[in-house]
Amino acid sequence: MNSSEIKNLLISSLNSDADLVETSSLLEEEGISYDFSKNFSEKVLDKIFIAGLAISHEMDFLKTLNFVFYRIALTGIAAIVLLLISIYLKEGSLSFNSFLGIHDNYDESIVSLLTGN
Amino acid sequence: MIKESYNVSEDSELVKAALDGNKEAFGAIVTRYQKMVARTVKGMLGDSVYSEDIGQEVFIKLYYSLSEFRGEAKLSTYIQRIAVNLTLNEMKRRKRFFSMFSQKGNNELYEYEVPDHDNEERREASEIVAKALQTMDPKFRIIVTMRMLQGYSTKETAEILNLPLGTVLSRLSRAQEQLKKILKKL
Repeated sequence: MNSSEIKNLLISSLNSDADLVETSSLLEEEGISYDFSKNFSEKVLDKIFIAGLAISHEMDFLKTLNFVFYRIALTGIAAIVLLLISIYLKEGSLSFNSFLGIHDNYDESIVSLLTGN
Repeated sequence: MIKESYNVSEDSELVKAALDGNKEAFGAIVTRYQKMVARTVKGMLGDSVYSEDIGQEVFIKLYYSLSEFRGEAKLSTYIQRIAVNLTLNEMKRRKRFFSMFSQKGNNELYEYEVPDHDNEERREASEIVAKALQTMDPKFRIIVTMRMLQGYSTKETAEILNLPLGTVLSRLSRAQEQLKKILKKL
């Protein structure tokens, strides 16, 4: 096939009624075929089954990290809940002042606290 | 080496065996579909070593997502979807990379690598196809690759690309117009 015949074949392959099986086999006959290198499947398998071990170790580490993160987060949440309960029991409310540990102080009591009189 | 019996096994049997950790069964899947993947990847990205890397990535991704394959679609369609997605991602990555370093359109930066041929006529034919495909707009290139190189019908192309049939038909007609213009210049 010369170049103009190839061009026509390419254009006609996009017609909605084109015989696509024939087109692709004609193209293949003209040397327009694609494939990977000879040891392609071996390379893929090596990557999966040799490098795959490294990936599975990495996955195990990430799973452990995830587990540890949840444990730490849950412990933190439990500590916060305990703190809230203790504040409530001690102060009788969960107001902003109770969180900060500021009671209903008057100017006089602050002065007496600072001066010691 | 792939065990002889696996070469004649059904896809579903190979998938089942591969899920059980059978290396040879997965090897048979790779051997069976590597040419199909090569047509998609090399048709869209050109015939280079990078295409081979993407091809390997397709099968690695397939291996790790094999448990999600429910057999509703054909295995070939499932593999083809992975190949198309990875190739489109690579094209986007290249476009971003080229746009950082050049003001030119990225098409001008593609390498037109064609397979070696002893026959001058065959070499010329390969070059025409490679140049035409690499110069096309990516959204048309994928349609042309599916149809011209893979021989898929419009319906199959729509299924693989997850596009409405009407969209594929309209892109097909626009792709043909673009291809005519490109081939005129070659």
